[in-house]
Amino acid sequence: MPEIMKTILSRICPIVVLSLAATAALAQDKVPLKTQLPRPLFVGTPVPLNVPNLEPPLKGRRPDFMVPAGTINLAKGKNVTASDNSPIIGTLDLVTDGDKAGDEGSWVELGPGKQWVQIDLAKSAHVYAVLVWHFHSQARVYRDVVAQVSDDPTFKSGVTTIFNNDFKGELGLGAGKDLNYVETYQGKLIDAKGAKGRYVRLYSNGNTTNKLNDYIEVEVWGKPA
Amino acid sequence: MSWTRWPAFIVIALVGLAIRLPQLDVRPMHTDEAVNAYIVGQLLAGEPFTYDPQDRHGPALAALALPLARMQGARSFSDLTESELRLTSIVAGSIIILLFGAAVEMFGFVPSLLTALLFAVAPLPVYYDRYFIHEPLFCAATLGLILSAWYACKTHSTGQAMLAGACAAFMLACKETALLHLLALAAAALVFRVWNSQNTDSAKFPRPRHLLAALATFMALTVILFTWFGSNWKALSALTHVATDVLARAAGQGHQQPVWYYGQLLTGGWSGGLLFAFACVGLFIAIKKRDSSPYQWLAYYGLFLAAIYSLIPYKTPWLALNLWLPLAIFAGMTVVMLWRWTAGKFGKRAAIPAFCVLAFAGVLIGHDTRQRVFLQPADETNPYAYAHTSDDILGLPAEIEDMARRNGINSPRVAVIASDPWPLPWYLRHFNQVGFWQPGQQVPDADFYVTSTEAAEQYADRLRGFRPDFFGSRPGVLILLWLPEPK
Repeated sequence: MPEIMKTILSRICPIVVLSLAATAALAQDKVPLKTQLPRPLFVGTPVPLNVPNLEPPLKGRRPDFMVPAGTINLAKGKNVTASDNSPIIGTLDLVTDGDKAGDEGSWVELGPGKQWVQIDLAKSAHVYAVLVWHFHSQARVYRDVVAQVSDDPTFKSGVTTIFNNDFKGELGLGAGKDLNYVETYQGKLIDAKGAKGRYVRLYSNGNTTNKLNDYIEVEVWGKPA
Repeated sequence: MSWTRWPAFIVIALVGLAIRLPQLDVRPMHTDEAVNAYIVGQLLAGEPFTYDPQDRHGPALAALALPLARMQGARSFSDLTESELRLTSIVAGSIIILLFGAAVEMFGFVPSLLTALLFAVAPLPVYYDRYFIHEPLFCAATLGLILSAWYACKTHSTGQAMLAGACAAFMLACKETALLHLLALAAAALVFRVWNSQNTDSAKFPRPRHLLAALATFMALTVILFTWFGSNWKALSALTHVATDVLARAAGQGHQQPVWYYGQLLTGGWSGGLLFAFACVGLFIAIKKRDSSPYQWLAYYGLFLAAIYSLIPYKTPWLALNLWLPLAIFAGMTVVMLWRWTAGKFGKRAAIPAFCVLAFAGVLIGHDTRQRVFLQPADETNPYAYAHTSDDILGLPAEIEDMARRNGINSPRVAVIASDPWPLPWYLRHFNQVGFWQPGQQVPDADFYVTSTEAAEQYADRLRGFRPDFFGSRPGVLILLWLPEPK
């Protein structure tokens, strides 16, 4: 073996070994996110497969989404505020009450057009995933879904946008590149990539059935910062 | 009484118009309305009416809508508006109200007045009189048949018999379900006759020459209407399949509902239960009395019709308008009877509580009409809005126009690929270059594509470079508008 090769190997091997060890350590620290899924309420409208620019539907259960060990649903039972203080149906506490069934009495319905709900996690946290169920008893698409994390309750500073499919920029939060999706009983899982903040805000702008905005449940999976 | 009654009924008809006319264009076009509108568009383009027993029903609605649309200045399908078309049903609804003026000799003045008032303000007739479908016209023709048939039997008038034949022909030219109504009316007449065989005062069976006159009028008018004034004689051959088609449709065809569906629909809301209870009291009394009054015949007809409509699996909410006709008449009758009974027992002291009860009923009816007709006309929680087009679809043509403008396209080419594209032909009528294809067919290049969710996958290569946007066609039914990326 030429001398140069030996030198390279001797320098690269420790790096590779260290990287593998670090990856293994990190992998060991990650666990699948486990949430209780509600009963499906409808056999969905067929959604196209292999179509460009459209989120492919889940075939069966969602693949495991890995989160750091110790990640919990920080939103459960937490205080919820909203842009609409007088919901048409239900109360805001339904958003974090743990009931994802999707039948009568399990969702809050905010007024028409652009609306948001905001969850106060009580403490700043690293958020790894947000799971949202808007409405899953029929095939619906909620328009302009945006999810943000911030330590500022007014969301004027330090805002991390973790999802935005408002591709026309109708909410005034900038045009998003995320894809539209059809609501199902599995909810929408948003990868928050460890974004730090105490508040999680979710926007929407009506849906394909009516102009209203519904929330059955929102889960915020993370660890206190 | 012959002429003095009319101002009261005209005032009620005007009240009905005042309630029916506002915001006529707000509710999105239901698929059935869009199909009917398309037929009127074909007629405006000079094509004859082609009878298709599968989906299109008879020509009566189009025959009335065409001159009304022309009078309002429409020259083509794209000129038509929701308001212009729905005016046809409002005219039919107003005819129903005015026909009660002709029902005074049959049902009495006050009951006829109350029934007309119920038709003018109650949620169900107001809702469907603002719907461009056949039911209001069908209901008007049914009431016309009931009145003229009764008067023909009472007076042995050939003119009334011919009028009855004409009304029956209009019923058939509205909807094939006319056969079920004619069956119910005939069965009711038979039971009525047998039940009152001892009563010499009862209405007599029509004489053969009157029957012949009615039949001849029925046949002549049916031929004239279905052949579209002699321009399409093939319709007569299609007409021979009506009975089998009605039976096939009765099996459900995706519109299956439980037996109690109409009961639930008619008793719903704040006022439905009260009106239904009043109607049941009147119906019970009419049958129990055995006084050979027209109410008795109507009671049998109502019962037979309710049984037929409830037992066949196919059910849609607008068919309830046919049940609402006898229901409203019996509710009106009951109010009058209760008033007479109360006044007889308590004298004039009964006036104030009676007025309060009627005012209370009025508030309940007013609430339901406001809620169902104006506040939530297309909402899926509204039981009258069956498989209704979502408001969301209104944004689809607007988005095509907006994107075409942004991309500098003057006359956008729109390709729709879906096995059931309705009501899109209505919403895309203003675009010059629109084509409709079934999934699997060769589709030419277009600036915008609209696909059903099922069809999109087959055209994945074609749709590369387009951004999809979902639209709700009906609750739970999604379509995709494929937009070119903005330049």
